[in-house]
Amino acid sequence: MELLDQISFNLQNGFDKIVASLTKDAVEKQIPPKEILSNGLIAGMNIVGEKFKNHDIFLPDVLLAARAMNGAMEVLKPLLIKEGIPIRGKVVIGSVKDDLHDIGKNLVAILLKGAGFEVIDLGNDVPAEKFISVAREENAHVIGMSALLTTTMPVMKKVVDLAKDEGLFGKIRIVIGGAPVSKEYALEIGADAYSYDGANAVETVESFFPANSQ
Amino acid sequence: MIVDFAPEDVDLDRAAILRSQGIPEEAEFTENFELIYEGAIELFQKLAEPAGIIVGITISEFKEVFRGEGLNEPENPVEDIYRKSSYLALFAVTLGPVLSSKVTGLFDNGDYASGYMLDSVSSYAADKLTDLAAQHLQSELAVKEPAASSWRVLSYSPGYCGWNISGQKKLFEVLHPEEIGITLNESCLMIPVKSLSGVLIAGAGEIHEFVNSYPFCDTCRTKSCIERMRDLK
Repeated sequence: MELLDQISFNLQNGFDKIVASLTKDAVEKQIPPKEILSNGLIAGMNIVGEKFKNHDIFLPDVLLAARAMNGAMEVLKPLLIKEGIPIRGKVVIGSVKDDLHDIGKNLVAILLKGAGFEVIDLGNDVPAEKFISVAREENAHVIGMSALLTTTMPVMKKVVDLAKDEGLFGKIRIVIGGAPVSKEYALEIGADAYSYDGANAVETVESFFPANSQ
Repeated sequence: MIVDFAPEDVDLDRAAILRSQGIPEEAEFTENFELIYEGAIELFQKLAEPAGIIVGITISEFKEVFRGEGLNEPENPVEDIYRKSSYLALFAVTLGPVLSSKVTGLFDNGDYASGYMLDSVSSYAADKLTDLAAQHLQSELAVKEPAASSWRVLSYSPGYCGWNISGQKKLFEVLHPEEIGITLNESCLMIPVKSLSGVLIAGAGEIHEFVNSYPFCDTCRTKSCIERMRDLK
């Protein structure tokens, strides 16, 4: 089995230490980082995504693969930056102010990283202003917000309104999710999209970047 | 009354836990998946500190608690059900702070799969703990009132069935769940996160039956009323 196929295979099985070690081997063998990323890591994650969709594997298996992907990215990221290879997209993500639930948000962050996006995770209890300021400073492409309480959902509208006020609306796409949130609510507050789960959030964010889809 | 439970009191039904993750009964699992599941069960048994508080309340007193901040849906099933009850009690249950911290710690350390599974097991267990509180109340009532053994005790919580989440504030004022370590933040979120609160409504099974066609039923994600009403039969 070729080295990149081995990376893909071991990533699919969630063997994070082996994937990191094989990625280092690939770098030492002068395989271009972009090729390791595309034909090893993302190729593996794509298979994981397909198996997940087909119910051949389940979320814990996907999360193991994502951890392996993240470990390998620690090796590759400095090289990709050095070579000026653009990242797939940058996402600022967080649970909104006064909401301390973060499992769903964490899953989305992990899955987005696993899909090759750079994710800036602001954690939970994030004020509307912080979403905007960090997105601006980091030149983010997407803001992702999560709320699990109906009482905290209005913060999402505040972020959308702030983005409009600061001329960022349309430049930065805004995706919302969480148990009480709906497609209708996203429409009502003017968010770009609603995602109903982690896998759907990745598909939604990917749809914003059709040109560099892997 | 404060009720201490043991982790092993909570019946962790594997099929139900996996169903809550959207996994079908007939699914086959990888070896990794099995290890993660078993690890989460072990952690739960080791770290959970289940406790509950149950305080009886009259219908007229509960009317005020239920009114809360005045934000309930104008028509809701809880209003109809509690008025027909034979006994009411406010309750809160928690699995304690250590379990929640462990979930956070697992995610922080990059062990996402174990964090997710432990969170899932804990969410299921918190629901089961509410059932245990209901059973406890029923046993207590049956000692004083023989008819109580045939009653059905079901829980209803702010945030569901048209009872606005802001109702937590009034409920906490009367119940004092801080006695078992539960506090409420500004947005009515209970801390530790794996806690549940509400009212236990005891009475004949049929009082709990309603037609789930309220406007808010469309957006309800749990639809747990269907299963609960089916179990009444």
